[in-house]
Amino acid sequence: MRRLTIQSFHFTNVSFGESFELRKLTDTPEKTYEMILPSDANPYLEDMDVIDSITMRIIRPGEHHVHNESIMDVFPISAKVLGKLGEGTSRTITGIYGMITGVDTEGTPVCAFGNSDGMLDEQMVLGCAGTPNEEDYILCFDAVLKAKEGFKRTGPNAVHHVVDAYCQNIRELLKKFHAGDCTETQTFEDVIRPGKKKVALVKLVSGQGAMYDTRFLANEPSGFEGGHSVIDITGFPVMLSPNEYRDGAIRAMY
Amino acid sequence: MGVGPSTKETTLHHFRDPLLKVLSEDTDIDFQGVVLAGIPQDNVNKLFTGERIGYWIEAMRSDGVIVSADSWGNSDIDFANTVEMIGKRGIPVVGLSFCGVSGQFVVTNPYMDTIVDINKNPEGIETDVVGENSLSELDAKKAKALLKLKMRK
Repeated sequence: MRRLTIQSFHFTNVSFGESFELRKLTDTPEKTYEMILPSDANPYLEDMDVIDSITMRIIRPGEHHVHNESIMDVFPISAKVLGKLGEGTSRTITGIYGMITGVDTEGTPVCAFGNSDGMLDEQMVLGCAGTPNEEDYILCFDAVLKAKEGFKRTGPNAVHHVVDAYCQNIRELLKKFHAGDCTETQTFEDVIRPGKKKVALVKLVSGQGAMYDTRFLANEPSGFEGGHSVIDITGFPVMLSPNEYRDGAIRAMY
Repeated sequence: MGVGPSTKETTLHHFRDPLLKVLSEDTDIDFQGVVLAGIPQDNVNKLFTGERIGYWIEAMRSDGVIVSADSWGNSDIDFANTVEMIGKRGIPVVGLSFCGVSGQFVVTNPYMDTIVDINKNPEGIETDVVGENSLSELDAKKAKALLKLKMRK
């Protein structure tokens, strides 16, 4: 209890191929990996009849001068190996981050107040807490929703569901690595400090409807499936431990 | 994420949240945890949520609170009300929000005397550039420092 270990696996290459594969590239001076992925997310569409298509791109470091539709989310790919969210052991991928862009068939961006479509290097500041670094790869999912589906909750939910189902394949492979093969390990303790001033953090997050939603406590860190929507609980306050929060308790929907 | 792209907090932002880092690494405070609350659509629910947060914080016997929101405009109602519900209980509270020029508070109250503006754009506007006006580690450190000063009184 109150102890969370996050093992990171650093990836220095990602390419499209036949099937999901995570390969070790180097042992020294640090352990690095490469990822091979199928370029087709359509098998995960299932009965998602609100989605017209989802195509995938790999954006390499230094190749950010590319056009993209409005950015819905940037997310890490992490997996729970032992215990529940907020305790035990999690694994996370560094060097590659997921990104979702959204538009509908009529050209309406999936966004609320202002959209971020345009050239990626002009529409995103790299190196922030919530954006990839200059040297990171971006695994981009470009979603096209059917007309006006971006205005309803079902549209963005379906996109996140498909992306999450695709990423679950990567997570399952990540879980199979030996613990000693990780690039870096960090352990976090939720410490109670009696006698010190008690400080709480209140985070007010999106919850107004449609894509303006936030999910929390999914099955996997920073995941979608199994998560709860703040809209469904009418924005009511929920208590999260520091370790739950840093273990990826939140999925921002857009 | 939030209302405008530049203040949006992505899933990655929450995973690497500077506020959590700054608060949990400080051995001088007893960091209790994160109260996550939504910004609902309906005005009645907006006020109700803030009220519940007030009672919750009181029950936690918190000595100080940082309130952060990644959106603005009608979200200011939620933000201002939450700050008021904590402040009127005599609990020191510091807020973090995007103000700049275009995001000035649409509502305010006497408890909003220590707000850190997370704007980074020189013109103080929502630029539609993801990450530009998002909360940084420096913002988090400012908020913590202000809260420590307030708690000392």
